[in-house]
Amino acid sequence: MKRILAAGLVVLAVVALAAFAGRTQSASAKPTAGSLVGTGATFPFPLISKWIPAVSSSLGISLTYTATGSGAGIAQITARTVDFGASDAPLTPDQLAACKGCVVIPWALAGMSAMYNLPGVSKRLVLNGPVLANIYLGNITTWNAAAIRALNPGVTLPATKITPAYRSDGSGSTYAWTDYLSAVSPQWKSKVGKGTSVNFPAGVGARGSAGVAGVVKSTEGAIGYADAAYAIQNKIQFALVKNRAGGNATPGIRGVTNALCEVPAKVTNLAQLKIVDPSAKCGKKAYPISTFTYVIVPTNSGDKAADLRKFVYWAVTAGQKFGPPLFFVPLPKAVNAFIYREIKKIQAGS
Amino acid sequence: MTSTTYEPPAAPESDLRRSGIRLGDLLFKGIAILAALAATGLLGLIAWKVLDLAWPAIQNFGLSFIWTEAWDPVTQDFGALIFIYGTVVTSLIALVIATPLSIAIALFLTEIAPRRLAAPIATMVELLAAIPSVVLGLWGILVFGPWVRDHLEPWIQATPLGALPVFSGDPSQAGILPAALVLTIMIIPITSAICRELFIRVPQDLKDGALALGSTRWEAIRGVVFTYTAPGIAAAVLLGLGRAFGEAIAVNQTIGNRNTIPTSWFEPGDSLGSKVASEYVGATSLQQASSILYLAAILMVISLATNVVAQFIVVRFERARRGV
Amino acid sequence: MSQLAAADPYDVTVKSNGLRRRRIVEKVFGLLAIGAAIFACFILIAVLTTLVFKGASSLNLDFFTKPRPLFGEKGGIADALVGSALIVGMAMIMAIPVAVLVAIYMSEYAGPKVARSLKIVLDVLNGVPAIVVGVFVFGILVVGHGQSAVYGAFALAILMLPMVSRATQEILEVVPRSLRDASFALGVTKWRTTWNIVLPAAIGGILTGVVIAVARVAGETAPLLFTTSIAASEISGDVSHALPTLPVTIFVFSESPDPGEQAAAWAAGLVLIAFVLVMNVLAKLFAGRKRRQLEGS
Repeated sequence: MKRILAAGLVVLAVVALAAFAGRTQSASAKPTAGSLVGTGATFPFPLISKWIPAVSSSLGISLTYTATGSGAGIAQITARTVDFGASDAPLTPDQLAACKGCVVIPWALAGMSAMYNLPGVSKRLVLNGPVLANIYLGNITTWNAAAIRALNPGVTLPATKITPAYRSDGSGSTYAWTDYLSAVSPQWKSKVGKGTSVNFPAGVGARGSAGVAGVVKSTEGAIGYADAAYAIQNKIQFALVKNRAGGNATPGIRGVTNALCEVPAKVTNLAQLKIVDPSAKCGKKAYPISTFTYVIVPTNSGDKAADLRKFVYWAVTAGQKFGPPLFFVPLPKAVNAFIYREIKKIQAGS
Repeated sequence: MTSTTYEPPAAPESDLRRSGIRLGDLLFKGIAILAALAATGLLGLIAWKVLDLAWPAIQNFGLSFIWTEAWDPVTQDFGALIFIYGTVVTSLIALVIATPLSIAIALFLTEIAPRRLAAPIATMVELLAAIPSVVLGLWGILVFGPWVRDHLEPWIQATPLGALPVFSGDPSQAGILPAALVLTIMIIPITSAICRELFIRVPQDLKDGALALGSTRWEAIRGVVFTYTAPGIAAAVLLGLGRAFGEAIAVNQTIGNRNTIPTSWFEPGDSLGSKVASEYVGATSLQQASSILYLAAILMVISLATNVVAQFIVVRFERARRGV
Repeated sequence: MSQLAAADPYDVTVKSNGLRRRRIVEKVFGLLAIGAAIFACFILIAVLTTLVFKGASSLNLDFFTKPRPLFGEKGGIADALVGSALIVGMAMIMAIPVAVLVAIYMSEYAGPKVARSLKIVLDVLNGVPAIVVGVFVFGILVVGHGQSAVYGAFALAILMLPMVSRATQEILEVVPRSLRDASFALGVTKWRTTWNIVLPAAIGGILTGVVIAVARVAGETAPLLFTTSIAASEISGDVSHALPTLPVTIFVFSESPDPGEQAAAWAAGLVLIAFVLVMNVLAKLFAGRKRRQLEGS
């Protein structure tokens, strides 16, 4: 008996030693200067995944990022359990106050795709804001509803039930999606409203953009929202969305870039970065459900401040080149001055 | 006359013993007391911390939170009724299905099966208990949910049960019913293991007596085994119920996460534990975070109450049996 | 002599409707019992075969050597394996000594009232849902400090404590009184008696309890969800940071549409179940040894 115990302890010790001693990293050219831990939005996760090895090799910073949703990004950085948070939803005044001195810096930009699962309909469907709102309100329940047929003449639509999929966790994607639905549907605005967490009246909830993509992929007739990268990666069909100019726009690079037409030439505050439901001025190609996504960093970041400044600066400059293959549009010059000013605010503090 | 009283030689270490080793005893007892205090302190700390985190919501909403049907982070209006419904209904459905099955399995293993068959089947049932809930949830999402949607729920609708409003509507792979069925699979091993222990302990002579009086095997079981073990079965059922109440992960994976009390059990809903798992890390206002903790506190109280009642029944049962 | 309806149904010397009905009822319930047992086995076999088939197909060397995949990549569960092993190991170190000491106090030192209150405390602790334990450790340790594997281990230790304590206490009660009395009669002090005589006699039962607790706790997700879920995709033994774990990995990947991530989830589930199976077999071995030891003494 004692021998078995001793053997077990030896095994445990060996495992522990091996784990402590062998710390393999995916890419390391330079010795690690520091490590940063962040959490938050799933929306930019495809892009951040590409940043992790790149940051390690060019800056020597070992980056840890787990996608838990924008709500968690805001909550965790407020509780200071991580070094930075990521959110597609800008912070409300209450949240900014609770965060006690945080800067919110846009670091990526992409379109929210409306993915759906309708086997047997090969042509990409056209949807618009009011239809999407009615689907998510539970007013439209089957794919062959009159409103959908009107947008897609010539397409035979089955009577399959529509299952709207939404985020069950606090999500910036939900914020962008509900921001759009509130803009295009007064009923949505009064009944549900916009936020990182809302009371969805119909459908099924899942965690993370991956979860929503999972529900859509496995449920016939489902529709869901996630950034275009998730739809492409998982080979899920997404819809064309009719914008205010009457054009049917896609969530690709051109669609999102065109949605930027109303952003002022020099951005001074975050409210100017609201680009959902752009006016007809932006043209027929402007994708109406586009959103910036932000990194949240405390101004008082102690010994992580230098690394954080380096990382964020890298992300908004060199990091942008990883974006286009994943349908992230490089940040427009209009935000540069604003970003650099905010980065300077990240200090070690007292 | 010489008295030969034997006097044992004075133990050489007697002085040492009197001074040094009592210290060892004291130390050991002290450490043991510390451990006991730590365990008790831990329990108190848990209760205090949960209530402390939930306090803003308790103050704000009061007890009416418990029967308020609302969960709207936009208007910051929160209530627990939706989730209490989800927790209670999924657990009760699981209980109703699992209890007769567990009793039947326990009976099979103790009364009917030959010993060589009973052992491997008992092992299999124990293995079912060993499956981690997250793995069962994984199976629930990827395998069981679609099966329920494609086969079980349409079948239920085809039977007379389909006329009931709780079985109306379209089949769905995530909802109250799939979650309840996953919970059933989780509590069958617990309840049947306890029932099996109880049935084995029934004195054979009581059963033999009944058989000698001419009852069939089932009548003997009903008359002797069940009456003898009824309180124990009740306790087993309650323990299974407590486990079902507390299960957050597998339910979160299969219940569909919708803030509503659905009319049909095919539809999604949500439960206390599942909501805490979904929203706690992402709660962006103090009101929301403390409301979620209020849900956790309610869950703690419900689990506690179930366990306490189960323990109470066990104690009464033991006392009654010793008196018999 | 075959009268029918009028005969006493409980008179077995007379064949009657009543007797036939009772025999039918007996057969029916017998069949139901068999049916239930078959149903339980069927479910278990269904779950296990799905796991084995879906998991085995993705089990390859890569799986055990690569860390979890980032977006759109392939990977394995090596980092989650190491993380789980370290966290469960630390939980054992934290929980077992305290649990055994509490049990010793309850069975060797405490008076009946105190022992009963402690038993209630442990039972209540056992009934605290795992998700509440996770929220508790988050609120008390993670806030302001960050996640770490140690905090996750602490949460698991809280779950293990009542299980190990209860098992230890039960086996301590079974250790014969005579063993202790003989030791005292020889002049051995109480603490040495407990440490050198009683505990070794009880070790089989204690190990059984430990192994069962470890098996249960290795698959717990909720306590880890708030304490060690933000972890890098790399194999690391740095317990001061959060480490990836098998249950959380399965949880996150279970909702994913990516077949690679789903395969990783199945394989991780298979590993977990295999581990739990091995633990259960060990528990039976220890239980058998304990019985033999105690009967032999």
